[in-house]
Amino acid sequence: MHPLNWAIVIGWLAYVVIHGIRRSAGTSELAGYFQANRSLPWWAVGLSVMATQLSAVTMIGTTGQGATDGMRFVQFYFGLPLAMVILGVTLVPFLHGSGVYTAYEFLERRFDAKTRSLTAFLFLVSRAMSCGTIISAPAVVFSAIFGWSIGWSVAIIGVPAVLYTMIGGVQAVTWVDVKQMILIVTAIVAVTITLLVQIPVSPSDALHIAGATGRLRVFDFSFSLTNTYTFWSGVIGGTFLMLSYFGTDQSQVQRYLAAKSVDEARSSLLISAYWKIPLQAMVLLIGVLVFVFYQFERPPLLFNPAHERLVRKEQPALYGELESRYTADVVARDAAARAVARARDRGSDAEAASAMQVYRAQQAGVDTVRTEALALAQRVTGQPSRDVNYIIPRYVLDHLPIGLAGLFIAAVIAAAMNAISGELNSLSTASVIDFYRRWVRPEAPDQHFLMVSRAATGFWGIFACIIATYAVNLGSLIEVVNRFGSFFYGSILGVFLLAMIPMSRATGAFVGLLAGMAAVGAVNFGAPSVSFLWHNVIGAVTVVVVGTIVSTPGSIGGAFGRAAARG
Amino acid sequence: MSDDSSGSRRFRRTLASVMLVQIVTLCALWLLQWRYSA
Repeated sequence: MHPLNWAIVIGWLAYVVIHGIRRSAGTSELAGYFQANRSLPWWAVGLSVMATQLSAVTMIGTTGQGATDGMRFVQFYFGLPLAMVILGVTLVPFLHGSGVYTAYEFLERRFDAKTRSLTAFLFLVSRAMSCGTIISAPAVVFSAIFGWSIGWSVAIIGVPAVLYTMIGGVQAVTWVDVKQMILIVTAIVAVTITLLVQIPVSPSDALHIAGATGRLRVFDFSFSLTNTYTFWSGVIGGTFLMLSYFGTDQSQVQRYLAAKSVDEARSSLLISAYWKIPLQAMVLLIGVLVFVFYQFERPPLLFNPAHERLVRKEQPALYGELESRYTADVVARDAAARAVARARDRGSDAEAASAMQVYRAQQAGVDTVRTEALALAQRVTGQPSRDVNYIIPRYVLDHLPIGLAGLFIAAVIAAAMNAISGELNSLSTASVIDFYRRWVRPEAPDQHFLMVSRAATGFWGIFACIIATYAVNLGSLIEVVNRFGSFFYGSILGVFLLAMIPMSRATGAFVGLLAGMAAVGAVNFGAPSVSFLWHNVIGAVTVVVVGTIVSTPGSIGGAFGRAAARG
Repeated sequence: MSDDSSGSRRFRRTLASVMLVQIVTLCALWLLQWRYSA
C-alpha cells in the first residue's frame, strides 16, 4: 500500500486514541464511567448505537456478499424499524426510568437475583467470545492481504480500542463512535462515487448488467423457515432478533441508558430505525458495483492472496490451466457485457435481450472456473475456500486511488474498533455491577469500583485479543458458542417481555427462561435446517407462555414450576 | 412537564418521519428490482 494510505490509517488511529482519552473527563466516578452521568445527547447516542452494530464484517463481509449474492441480504433488517418503535414505547421507558446500570439489574428488581445472574452470565459468555470473532474476522483478512502475522493484525485493531475504552469509559466510546461513523459513511459514499466513475458504462447499463445476474433481486416473498433471507423471515424473525439485540443486550442498552432522558433515549434508537436499511442497502450496492466493475477489469481468480500464493506454489500446472481458461472466459464476458451496453444505448430491445442471453452464458462460464479454483484452494490449503471477505479489500488495494484506499482501510479498522469498544465497555459493566458489586464487595467505595471497572475492561480486552489470535484454531469452539448464543437470545427477550406483564412472578421468569432455552435447543437439534432467525421467536414465545402459566396462582404449571425452582 | 411534552412531541414527529423514510426506502428497493431484474 502507498505510504500516503498508511499515513492516513496511522493518523486516524492516533487521532481516535487521543480523542477518546480527551473525552474521558468526568469519568472519575462509576456513574460517569458507565453512564456518562446521563448527559449524552440523543443524536450522539443514536450514532453510537449504529456504530456498535456496524462491525468490520459489515465493511468487508457484507460488501463481499453484495458482490457474490446481491441485495437480498437487506431483507434481514426489515424488522429493525418496527423493533425500534416497539422498544421506544415499551422497554426503554422501563429500563431508563428504573435508573439501573445494566439491563439484568432491572430483572432482579422485577424478579429475583438468580434470574439476573443467569441472564448476565449468558451475556458475558456469548459477548466475550463474539468480541474475539469481531477482531479476528478483519485480522485474518489483513493478515492475508498485507502478509502480517495474526498477532500483529489483532494488535492494530485491539490495542487502540482497549486503550481508549479502558481510560474513557462509555463517554469515550460514544464520542469516538460518532467520529468513526462520520469516517465510515464518508468512505462508503466516496467508494460508491468512485465505482460509478470507474465503470466504463452508464449507471443504468451497469444496473442492467447486475440485474441480469439476479443481484438486484431484493424481495423474496416465499415463506420458508429454512431460508434466512426472505421478506417474512426479515419482518417476523428479524423483529424478534432486533428486539432481543437492542432491548436486552447490554452492549446496546448501555448506550441509551447514558441518554439525558427517556425521550432522548428512545429518539436515539430511532436513528437506527431511520438509517439502518438505507445504509445497509448502500453497503450491499457497493458490492454489486464491484461485481459490475470486474466485468470490465480482469478479477483475480482467487481473491485471497495467501491461498493464491500457496495454490500457485503447490499446484502450478493445474492452477496455470485454470488461469488460462479464466482469462479467456473473462475476456469473452467483457465483450458480452459491452455488447449489452451498446445494444441498450441503441435502444433496440430485441438486440439487448439477445446480448443479455450471451452475457449470462459467459458469466456462467466464468463462475464455473471460479468454482473449480475455489475447490482446488480448499484441497491445497485445507481451509474453507469461500473468499467473499477478500473481494472488497482486493478491489480497494488494487483499484482505488491513493488516499481513498487508506480512507477505506481506516474505516474498516474504525468499524472493528466501534464494535469491540462498545462490547468491552458493556462486558466490564456486567462483570462489575452484576457480579462483583452484587456478590463480592457490595459496600466498597465508588473509587474502588472504578478501578475494578477499568481493570475488567482491560481483562476483557486481553481475553478478546487472545480469542481473536487463536480463532482460526478455535473455529469449532466459536461455532459452538455462537450456536449456544442463539439458544438464549430470544429467551432473554422473553424474560423482559414477561417483566412487563404485571401478574408474572420470579419463579415463572426463571422456569420460563430455562424452558425457552430448552425449546430452542430442541428445535436446533431436531430441525437443524430451521433458520436461526426463528430461534428468537420460538425462545421468546416459549418463555412468555411458560412463564405466564407458572406464574398463575393455583395452576398445575405453577405448582410444578415452584417445586422445580426450589430444586 | 413542558420538557416532557416537547420530548414526546419530538418522539412522535421522529416516529412519523421514520415510517416515511422506511416506506420511501422500500419503494426505492422495489423499483430497483422491478426496473433492472426483468
